[in-house]
Amino acid sequence: MNVIVASTYYTLYQSEKERSFYLDFGQKMVRMSLCQLLALRYKVMSIPIEDHFDGDLNKHGFEVLLLCNKEHLFVLNTYEILDLKQFVEQSFVALGLSAEAETVTI
Amino acid sequence: MTKPIDMKDIARQSMSIKVESMDLLNGQIKMEAHASATYLAMASWCEQNGFFTSAKFFYKQSEEERGHMMKIFEFLVDTGGNPVSPEVADINHDYASIVDVFENTLEHEVKVTKSIHNIVKKARELGDIATERFLDWFVLEQVEEENTIRDILDMIEVTGTEGVGLQMIDNQVASWIK
Repeated sequence: MNVIVASTYYTLYQSEKERSFYLDFGQKMVRMSLCQLLALRYKVMSIPIEDHFDGDLNKHGFEVLLLCNKEHLFVLNTYEILDLKQFVEQSFVALGLSAEAETVTI
Repeated sequence: MTKPIDMKDIARQSMSIKVESMDLLNGQIKMEAHASATYLAMASWCEQNGFFTSAKFFYKQSEEERGHMMKIFEFLVDTGGNPVSPEVADINHDYASIVDVFENTLEHEVKVTKSIHNIVKKARELGDIATERFLDWFVLEQVEEENTIRDILDMIEVTGTEGVGLQMIDNQVASWIK
C-alpha cells in the first residue's frame, strides 16, 4: 500500500491491488472506496467547527462520525476534527480530484 | 504530500470531475429544489386566490425545476460524484398580488441564472471541461425561462389589473403553459 497523505492523527493509503483506499484513524484502519471517501468528505465538511467554541451549541466538544453505511463509529474531539478537516482537503488535493493542487503547487 | 507519479490513479479512474465542481453542482441541486418548492407554493397561492390557469403554470414550472435538479443529480452520478439530496426550507407562501407572484418568479430565475453562470466560470477556472459543457444546456434554458416570465410581466402591464384585468391576465397565462 502506498501512503497518499499523513497528518497528526490520520493516514490515507491507496491499495492498487484492491483498487481502494485505507484510512488509518489511529485506533482503527478503515477500508474505503472513493464513494465512501466522498461521503466522508461531505460529512466532515458539514461539521460546524465554530460550534466547538460555543458552550451552548456544543457543550462537550465532541463529534460522532458514522462511516461506511454505519459500519464504523468514531467519537472525535475538536483537535481531531480540525485535523480531519484539513486532512480530507489535502487528501483530495493529493488524489488530483481537487483543483487546490494547482493553486498549491504554483 | 502528493502521490508518486508511478502510482495508479484510482481516484481519477473513479471520478471525472473536480470536487469543487461537485460541491457547486450540489449547491445548484439545492437551488433547483428550492425553486421547485417555491413554484409549488406559488401554485397554492394561485389556487387559493382564484388564478387557476396561473396555478397550472406554476405546477408545470415546479415540475420543470425538479427536472433540472434531477439532470444535475444524474450528471453527478455519471461522473462518479456524490450527489446530495437537498434540504428545502424557508418557502414563502405569502404574496401581495399576482403581479407580486410573477415579479418574485423573475427574481428567482435571475438568481438561478447567476448561480449557473458562476459555476460555468468556476468550472472554466478549474479546467473542468465536462462540467462546463454540461452546463451549456442550463445557460440556454435560463435565457428561455427568464424570457417567459418577462413576457408574462409585459402582458400584465399591457392588460392592467383594473376591472376584469386580473381575470384576463390569468386566462392569458395559458399561452405560456408548455
